[in-house]
Amino acid sequence: MEIQKTEAAKNPETDDTIESTKQKQPEEELEHCDEEDELRSLLLSDIGDLPLSPPSATQVNFVSYFITDFTKPGHDQYIYRHANGLCVVGLAPTHVAFKDQGGITNIDFNVGKSDRSVLKVSGKRKKNAMRSESNTALCKVSTANDSYIVRCCVKGSLLEVNERLINQPQLLNSSADREGYIAIIMPRPADWTKNKESLITLEEYKEKKEVSL
Amino acid sequence: MSDESKPTPGGLLNEAARSLHPSAVKDLLSLGVCERCILRLVTVTATFDSDLATVSSSTLRGWLGSGVEEAASPEPSICIVCLGVLQFVFSDAKQTLVKSDHVAWITDLVKQQGHEFDSFVLEVSLPSTISENERAVLLYLKGKYSDEAWLQSEKVSVKDALKVLVLDPLRASLGAKSDSSSFHIRLTYSQASDEAQGLSETKHERKKRKTDEENGSNCMSENPFKKVSEPCILSVHCNKMPIFFGGRYFKYSRNVSQSRWIIDDERMGEASVEEIIGGSILPACLGDSYKFHAAGREDIDVRMLGSGRPFLIEVQNSRKCPSQQSLTEIEEKINNSEKKLVGVKDLKFIGSECWAMMREGEAEKQKQYAALVWISRPLEEEDCNSVSSMKELKILQKTPIRVLHRRSQLERERTIHWMKVEKIKGNAHYFLLHLCTQAGTYIKEFVHGDLGRTTPSMGSILGCRAEIIQLDVTDVKMGDS
Repeated sequence: MEIQKTEAAKNPETDDTIESTKQKQPEEELEHCDEEDELRSLLLSDIGDLPLSPPSATQVNFVSYFITDFTKPGHDQYIYRHANGLCVVGLAPTHVAFKDQGGITNIDFNVGKSDRSVLKVSGKRKKNAMRSESNTALCKVSTANDSYIVRCCVKGSLLEVNERLINQPQLLNSSADREGYIAIIMPRPADWTKNKESLITLEEYKEKKEVSL
Repeated sequence: MSDESKPTPGGLLNEAARSLHPSAVKDLLSLGVCERCILRLVTVTATFDSDLATVSSSTLRGWLGSGVEEAASPEPSICIVCLGVLQFVFSDAKQTLVKSDHVAWITDLVKQQGHEFDSFVLEVSLPSTISENERAVLLYLKGKYSDEAWLQSEKVSVKDALKVLVLDPLRASLGAKSDSSSFHIRLTYSQASDEAQGLSETKHERKKRKTDEENGSNCMSENPFKKVSEPCILSVHCNKMPIFFGGRYFKYSRNVSQSRWIIDDERMGEASVEEIIGGSILPACLGDSYKFHAAGREDIDVRMLGSGRPFLIEVQNSRKCPSQQSLTEIEEKINNSEKKLVGVKDLKFIGSECWAMMREGEAEKQKQYAALVWISRPLEEEDCNSVSSMKELKILQKTPIRVLHRRSQLERERTIHWMKVEKIKGNAHYFLLHLCTQAGTYIKEFVHGDLGRTTPSMGSILGCRAEIIQLDVTDVKMGDS
């Protein structure tokens, strides 16, 4: 595969260096070009067959789990678990809230005993994190017709909630599985092992809900 | 017979010996204190020079008092103060009494450890009971001979006396100087186990003794002048201060971590930069172990190309220092290895400027990268222009999810100094992104946005989804280079 250099985009750094090398002896300039060429060939050595649509960062780094009809029918959520144990939770595509006209219009983190969006976790040990059970309320999403409670689904420490949703609730409609994630929870290894049993895999989810994703 | 005008060293000593308080000397001799300790404790002036070593203990004894009755046993007993240290009476590790000359014995043990050196520093470690014994004996003397001049002067310690006695002969025997040096020879005397229990004070006894001394009473715990049956065990240990080697490394593989990475007994990746480089240098130095330090780091799946990353190898207790020639050979061996996982440049010995060199590559410096990016819509000409026109772009990064488990939850502001888009012919969804960023920027998260936690991101700038396929470091700037 050949590479095309864009003419317009020459960065100032390379300009300067090439200028200064022109003033030196010609062999130094040759050396500089050789090094650059070597670097280029290394950079492009792996570009073989590039897939049309590569797996996303989420697919590569996380394992997807789902839970369906959690406490109420139609309350389907996803749990993306990273290799380091952290779980990103959010609404699965088949969640009943998406079926309402106009989709989700508002989200409120002030549920249960405290406003989840004001918690501040500090330090490496994540002090002050709220400890949650799987059925602890996370937030309330509202549509034109109704409102639904979203729960943690994972027992652990609540590290953060996605505050961007407060001002941009439409993110839930457009990309609930990426920018529209709801919260990040850190379960303890023992808790996760128990928790996992109530979750289903991506394949099982697709079958159950007869969805093609 | 001898030159009367010039006093011989022995002569000076002889005089000093004769000036000692005779009954004190007699007392100490009968208690079982050795001749050198007596000279230390009972002289007015704190002179204890190396000439003393050349004088044998029997000669010393002769000088100390003509009227003194010879001890019943022909073999002198172990001194109750110095436990035989100043008498050069000691056992080896197997607790067998060493009969050979002490200097030759120590020299042998030093040579066995295999270090190459031309200078050394002597360190001595003694059991704490020696100072307790000395205190007890001085207390006894004060009680009996109170307020004599020789009692008031400061005494040369057993440790200092030993160093004086042993340094010159050891210098000669090893053929080395003894000034400031990075090579240390440590002589450690330890008590034979049964002795240790008997003589050392318990904490309670020490407190009692201290308050008693303050109150002015003479407290002598139990029997401080018990006979010493076993000499100390002497062990000789040599240690060379760490030496440093530096250079720049390249990482050509996407399956090699920077340092050894083991989770649950399983190695992550097929090798590590640390082990490839350190493992080649350590045998050349005949060292005990090594430590790897680098100016920053990269993920296991990121290659380190371009100028290479500065690193240091610290070798503990090296026995010899390899020549520049050997270092060049090591460098070539690594660079020409079959697998070509790691490369090395400018490998050389580094002196005290090593840490300054490391600091150079750290926080303030800029790093340059090349990332292969995929976007969900075709690349347009405008995109290239808009991206390259962004200079000193400020981004806000929340702690990436992939490190959030071990890092604080923070929002970090970072600067992308410049970016350049390089199109890939025949494929409008992929391009090579060249960028120069502030140190500490998470590049992968800048490209895919980390679920919106890094803003702006490549995806938000281009208004579509972006993913990073591979990443390479192309430059780690150090100073003006």
